[in-house]
Amino acid sequence: MSDTTVETPEIARGEVILKIDQLCKSYGKLDVLRGIDLEIKKGEVICVLGPSGSGKSTMLRCLNLLETPTKGTIELKGDAVFDGSKPKNLDDLRRETGMVFQSFNLFPNMSAKQNVSIAQIRVRGRKKAEADQRAVEELTKVGLAEKVDEYPDRLSGGQQQRVAIARALAMDPEIMLFDEVTSALDPELVKGVLDVMRGLADSGMTMICVTHEIGFAREVADRVIFMDGGYIVEQGPPKDVLDNPKEERTQRFLGLVLDH
Amino acid sequence: MEQFFNTYFDFSIMGDYFGDVLQGFWWTLRLSLFGGAFALMWGLILAVLRQLPGRAFAPVRWIVIAYIDCLRGIPLLLTIYLIYGGLGTLQAQGAIPQWLGLPEYFGWPSAFWYGVLALTLTYGAYMAEVYRAGIESVPRGQMEAARSLGMSHGQAMRFVIVPQAVRRVIPPLLNDFIALMKDTSLVSVISLPEAVLVGSDIYSTTFNPSALTLGAIMFLVVTLPLARLVDWQIKKQDEKFQRGMA
Ligand SMILES: Nc1ncnc2c1ncn2[C@@H]1O[C@H](COP(=O)(O)OP(=O)(O)OP(=O)(O)O)[C@@H](O)[C@H]1O
Ligand SMILES: [Mg+2]
Repeated sequence: MSDTTVETPEIARGEVILKIDQLCKSYGKLDVLRGIDLEIKKGEVICVLGPSGSGKSTMLRCLNLLETPTKGTIELKGDAVFDGSKPKNLDDLRRETGMVFQSFNLFPNMSAKQNVSIAQIRVRGRKKAEADQRAVEELTKVGLAEKVDEYPDRLSGGQQQRVAIARALAMDPEIMLFDEVTSALDPELVKGVLDVMRGLADSGMTMICVTHEIGFAREVADRVIFMDGGYIVEQGPPKDVLDNPKEERTQRFLGLVLDH
Repeated sequence: MEQFFNTYFDFSIMGDYFGDVLQGFWWTLRLSLFGGAFALMWGLILAVLRQLPGRAFAPVRWIVIAYIDCLRGIPLLLTIYLIYGGLGTLQAQGAIPQWLGLPEYFGWPSAFWYGVLALTLTYGAYMAEVYRAGIESVPRGQMEAARSLGMSHGQAMRFVIVPQAVRRVIPPLLNDFIALMKDTSLVSVISLPEAVLVGSDIYSTTFNPSALTLGAIMFLVVTLPLARLVDWQIKKQDEKFQRGMA
């Protein structure tokens, strides 16, 4: 591959890839994250649940430093990327993490293929032909081989979201962050996107998924994290957290979600 | 009615002086095109500087904001006089080079280039505001998606934000261009014989304003189609929004 960027060292499946310590985030007086500790192992699939406003999106956005945390540290493969005051090695971090958003955020001025190739060319330094070929490959993997030249406004929400996933994957990230990526979709389009995510999990991708899809979490997650009020309230394998939650707040939340 | 018509539409005067007025209008056009093109670029530069992120760039942002506020707060006429009164003098004292103090590119007079400079400085500030509104109308998620893919702020602006903003700012920029074109008449105060000055000179010899009417018609030939174009662009964008795009 003709990438101009230097690769960070390979790490083995099961080793800690991302470590966050006492992560805090406030907006003015509002404390949104109040000390999050989390170790994520390579190949692990984590689903994050929690009520609205509990800080799930904020945590994800702090992980790739779209938001600058107020306190705490973030280590990527043992190297500090945030040391408590300012970002370091931001390029490494952004290169290793892909993010998919609830609102897709495709670039409307570009075709599906261009959406997937632009950052490969500008950030990874790939040749246009190589990037385009990779874009077509990734779009084919998410079932959009026929749509490579369409613009986002001609695609359904589910198709747009799959382009967004392809766009992130084409950058060869080691960790994928998903923020409620099916919440804005019509029910019949949800499955296609979840199928893509399931395939990705099976292929060994490290994933952190904020989601309200309890079924997906039960089936795919290695670990479920329940957040409330800026804390991680409870975490563990899905069968523990989802079927036998210890904390009362988790029980109450699951009671509300599963009733409907 | 007939008196009115003979006063404003004296065809013999219009015919006699058509060439002179057209020559004046040719200056008007050149002022508009050069001033408009430079203002378009200068405005974009200002708008991008104003959007630079982080604390390190705060002084740049303040300077740009102060500049924009000041130039929008001064009459263009005054800016023209300030440039005309200052640059020539400074050049004569050797404080600034000739290309800046007494510009005569293409053999066109300094008054023309002073006018272009004044129009650029003032309309650059107006257009910077238009670009800013355009940049800010691009949803926040676009910048975040670009940054999450590893693009720098500059790359995100160049490949993602500005291309989307430019489409939305075309109608207001065209409106500014129409305003700029009309304001070229102010450059007459430093003796550039553009359409209005030529027309009023003819008036003072013939005591009939028909040459001025002729100038007005020439303006309208350009500005009316532009106004239609603006409307058409706006309508096109509205339709896009209704189909849920843009
Ligand atoms: N940029 C911001 N400025 C101020 N407050 C913010 C900002 N972003 C988030 N917040 C606040 O932080 C809190 C947590 O927001 P966050 O988006 O992380 O919650 P969430 O758990 O993702 O909720 P949801 O399930 O609704 O997406 C909310 O109260 C929100 O209003
Ligand atoms: Mg959220």
